[in-house]
Amino acid sequence: MNITVNGKKLEVSGQRLLIEELREAGYDIPSLCYAADARHEPSCMVCMVRNEATDQMLPSCAIYPSEGMCIDATSDEVTSLRRMSLELLLSDHRADCEAPCTLVCPAGIDVAKVISYYDEGRLAEAKALLLSNLSPPTLPCATCKATCEKACRRNTVDQSVSIREIIQEVAQTPPPASPSRLCMAASQSPAPPSPSKLGRFSETEKERLKQIYSQPSRCLHCACEGAAKCKLREWATKAGIKASPFGKSSSLPVKEQQHIIGRLWYEPAKCIRCGLCVYNSNDGFTFLRRGFDMQIVILEQSKKNVDERLAELCPTGALYIL
Amino acid sequence: MNEQLIPRLQQIQQEYGYLQPEAMDRLCEETGIDRAQLISVSSFYSQFRTVPYGKHTIKVCVGTACHVKGADRVFDAFRRELQLEGDAITTADRRYTLERVACLGCCALAPVVQIDDRIFGHVQPGRVGEVLAEFEAMEAQDEQNEAEDRRTTQGEVRIGMENCCQASGTAEVKAAVVDACRSLGIQVSVKPISCIGACNQVPLIDVATTDGHIVRYPNVKPDEVKEILLHHFRPSSRWRRWRNAIVNQIDTFHTDQTWDNILFTPEPQRTQTINTFLEGQFRISTEGFGHLNPLDIEEYIALGGFDALTKALTTMSRQQIIDEVLHSGLRGRGGGGFPTGKKWQAVFDASSPSSPSSVSVSAVHGRPHPSSPHSVPVAAVHGRPSPPILVCNGDEGDPGAFMDRILLESYPLRVIEGMIIAAYAVGAAEGIFYIRAEYPQAVIRIGKALDMCRERGMLGDRILGTDFSFDIRVFEGAGAFVCGEETALIASMEGKRGFPHLRPPYPSQKGFHDRPTLINNVETLSQVPYIIRHGAVEYTKVGTAGSPGTKVFALAGRVRRGGLIEVPMGTTLRQIVEQIGGGVEDGEALKAVQTGGPSGGCIPAELCDAEVDFDGLNQMGAIMGSGGLVVLGESSCMVDVARYFLRFTCAESCGKCTFCRVGIRRMLDILDRLTTGQARMEDIDRLEQLALAVKRASLCGLGKTAPNPVLSTLRYFRQEYEEHVRGICRTGSCKQMVKFEITDDCVGCTKCSRSCPSDAIAYTPYERHVIDTARCTQCGLCIDQCDFKAIIKVPSHHTH
Repeated sequence: MNITVNGKKLEVSGQRLLIEELREAGYDIPSLCYAADARHEPSCMVCMVRNEATDQMLPSCAIYPSEGMCIDATSDEVTSLRRMSLELLLSDHRADCEAPCTLVCPAGIDVAKVISYYDEGRLAEAKALLLSNLSPPTLPCATCKATCEKACRRNTVDQSVSIREIIQEVAQTPPPASPSRLCMAASQSPAPPSPSKLGRFSETEKERLKQIYSQPSRCLHCACEGAAKCKLREWATKAGIKASPFGKSSSLPVKEQQHIIGRLWYEPAKCIRCGLCVYNSNDGFTFLRRGFDMQIVILEQSKKNVDERLAELCPTGALYIL
Repeated sequence: MNEQLIPRLQQIQQEYGYLQPEAMDRLCEETGIDRAQLISVSSFYSQFRTVPYGKHTIKVCVGTACHVKGADRVFDAFRRELQLEGDAITTADRRYTLERVACLGCCALAPVVQIDDRIFGHVQPGRVGEVLAEFEAMEAQDEQNEAEDRRTTQGEVRIGMENCCQASGTAEVKAAVVDACRSLGIQVSVKPISCIGACNQVPLIDVATTDGHIVRYPNVKPDEVKEILLHHFRPSSRWRRWRNAIVNQIDTFHTDQTWDNILFTPEPQRTQTINTFLEGQFRISTEGFGHLNPLDIEEYIALGGFDALTKALTTMSRQQIIDEVLHSGLRGRGGGGFPTGKKWQAVFDASSPSSPSSVSVSAVHGRPHPSSPHSVPVAAVHGRPSPPILVCNGDEGDPGAFMDRILLESYPLRVIEGMIIAAYAVGAAEGIFYIRAEYPQAVIRIGKALDMCRERGMLGDRILGTDFSFDIRVFEGAGAFVCGEETALIASMEGKRGFPHLRPPYPSQKGFHDRPTLINNVETLSQVPYIIRHGAVEYTKVGTAGSPGTKVFALAGRVRRGGLIEVPMGTTLRQIVEQIGGGVEDGEALKAVQTGGPSGGCIPAELCDAEVDFDGLNQMGAIMGSGGLVVLGESSCMVDVARYFLRFTCAESCGKCTFCRVGIRRMLDILDRLTTGQARMEDIDRLEQLALAVKRASLCGLGKTAPNPVLSTLRYFRQEYEEHVRGICRTGSCKQMVKFEITDDCVGCTKCSRSCPSDAIAYTPYERHVIDTARCTQCGLCIDQCDFKAIIKVPSHHTH
């Protein structure tokens, strides 16, 4: 069967979804709610193309090519609408891809990770990571103007985490017997862009955050655990989005992390409501309410019915393995 | 199994008043539906609630018509009266629960409030105490025995008993008629009739004497009933006649009630308003208005009812019927205006094995849909088509529209006749009435009408002795505007969340349980009998070339005479507002007419001379929609109107696709900033940009049309948006942008001070009163009370 894409003929089998055909033909079609081997429903609209015959905008993950179909896959209108759908999703996605402290550190220290180890009491690993980040291995913090503490999100709640003191403390712990597996993996490459930001906290959010994040460093752990696999971040970065122009607001509680099962965790404020986890679990995740207030929830009794592999399906860091 | 889910949930709520946890556990056990699904479905529909309510539920209608007449103020007044604080919706003694409801469909009586089954019209914020007292009194009063007196009658008294008539006290008038007949010894039959649409003139009674003379009385009060009856009927005994004469004399002299009595105004004056209201109308869907008893099948037949059905079943082939409808040019009255004949043809083709187009249908759309695992069309698999099904879409969810409700309540037999003809044409043996749960009266009437048709052999096996069998059941919608959209409606009938699907495949090819499904709107079906009976040629003589026939509109808002009207397509909006509606209320100039509800737009006064039909309205940036016409006067703020509709669609969006779920919310954010004086100029451009994107890229009709109210007001009233950025709301509708002030015209009468519920005006007799802005809630009671027009709204940031 023949279809036309951007004015060029394309031969397709007709048995595969349009998005698959387009990607195979070399078009870089973004998508979030689509997963090739799983049940999915078109919802995110970032894979949109234009059917030239009807002038309709269609999610390419939900339609099969038909003979003579004329598709516009890359015009300005199509790409700007895709971009806007990403921007809209980001406006409802309360998360920092990377922790601001790490992003601003002039010495390139993965501050957020060091504090994570510190909070878990894994001081030796924290030290190993710290040292691997530094070359030469001397701590520059004493002379630094502490941009990390200025950027610290905790500032907007009450006051900054005492990052330099913690780093000092970590640096003074005795060195580990053998280098940790984790610190070997730590990379020195500059942090990738962070199109998503937590945004401003409301007064009630501040109160909640103060209670949840009290010990021992008071760090909010804003860095996203799912950042590496996040498709929202990937496509937003490719589209050149630095931040959503629509501000930030969400009906969901910010930084609320729920343990699901095994190593699977869920953070609702990062969810884009694509429903992949709902369609691919049986009596597991489910939709609650509708419209902007719609959220994805799971009952306590249903947690046993889901599987860690759902984290791979999730296009954002809402479902992640810890 | 799933198909039973929504009806079962409705039963539980009916029984316990909410979704009681133990009952839900039992439901899970009995049906095997899992918890996750149960939450997903029950939380989608607004009908279901998870907390117990008070003994009585007060529903404040916030439909469009009520909104422009101050429904928010009424809601606030109830909160004050019931002493509800914070998020509480139920009173401490659990007697009342207060909630907002999208639309009760009584727009001509706005603002409207429903307490349990009783409807109260024209509720002003200052009157909520009275309304509650009245309700309590009614509750206390035992149900009157309304045994019909079936002796020889001297005539007939006809009373409209629709929702809206009841709201304006028709029930009391009816009781008064029955009482008066008893005490005066007059024997007349009291007959409930269908809505004549003159909702502005209710309670309205017609007195028909045995000589066939009919006199119509608008705005009847219960204490006037006795005189009206005496005017027409002679009491049965001489003694009573004499007694009545004396008593009446005394009444006349000793009370002031009879001075302003309608009996003393000459007949032409009395009926003129109604006659002009009815002039210019043309009845197809509402034929028999004012004299047809909705549930009298004999009367319907005597008026030519079921003639079309007999003609269709006995003299026409299926294709002939479809062709007739196609040639009539009938277009779907639900909003889109898709040619009905084409839809019928598509369903007919999809379900007939030999037809060439059914082959092409499965070739184009026969691939498995990615979303559902068992969605391979039966037609494609077995090589033979699955039987079609017919659905009558009565999920009229637009705030400000009540056409379908009245058609279902007042003309149920005509809609059923249309359905049977449609079913015969496409070969369906099964039909479903989808009626929204907010219309209990319609559900009851349709149920009764269906029983009557079955008894008469119009439904069931071998209809009218032919070999065509067909039956209809009722499905009650559970409260979701999006379910008016075909694919969402099907999802809800299947017991799922009302998530729409991408079309194609269209329901006509793959709908309810993947069967070819014909979905027609109530009004569309009610036009069908006329077409079959009189022929397509006759039908096309009514209306315009592109949109033949008539359209039923719900005329409401700031108009003098609102109500249900049926006019030929092509009538201008100005004719409707000025001639039928009597112009804008309080002598204001017409500013705009909003058509099509939350999917439609605002047409400014200068364009109101254009003819109303599907294409004309689309060109102006509005849509026909299902037919709500809300009149807006100079005192209506267009930004507030746009925000009102966005708030509605934002709450009703299903939440599936990004543009509708998040995009509409972001538009609403901007409108919220505009109406509170926090917006900047660039917000207007951003709003427009977002609106265009949502319109372009949403998945279903709800999202694609939701920006219309914003786009049309931006197109015609952009300067009002700009004024809002500068902190000015000319009409004073946007609360945060104005404050109340008392001018020098104040004489110190203290009326305002006494009426103020929040003690914002100090009691200072004979001195000019002063409003404490910090305490003022802008309920407007003082303005209503002031006889000197001394209280005005001024921009809040200009004065100190």
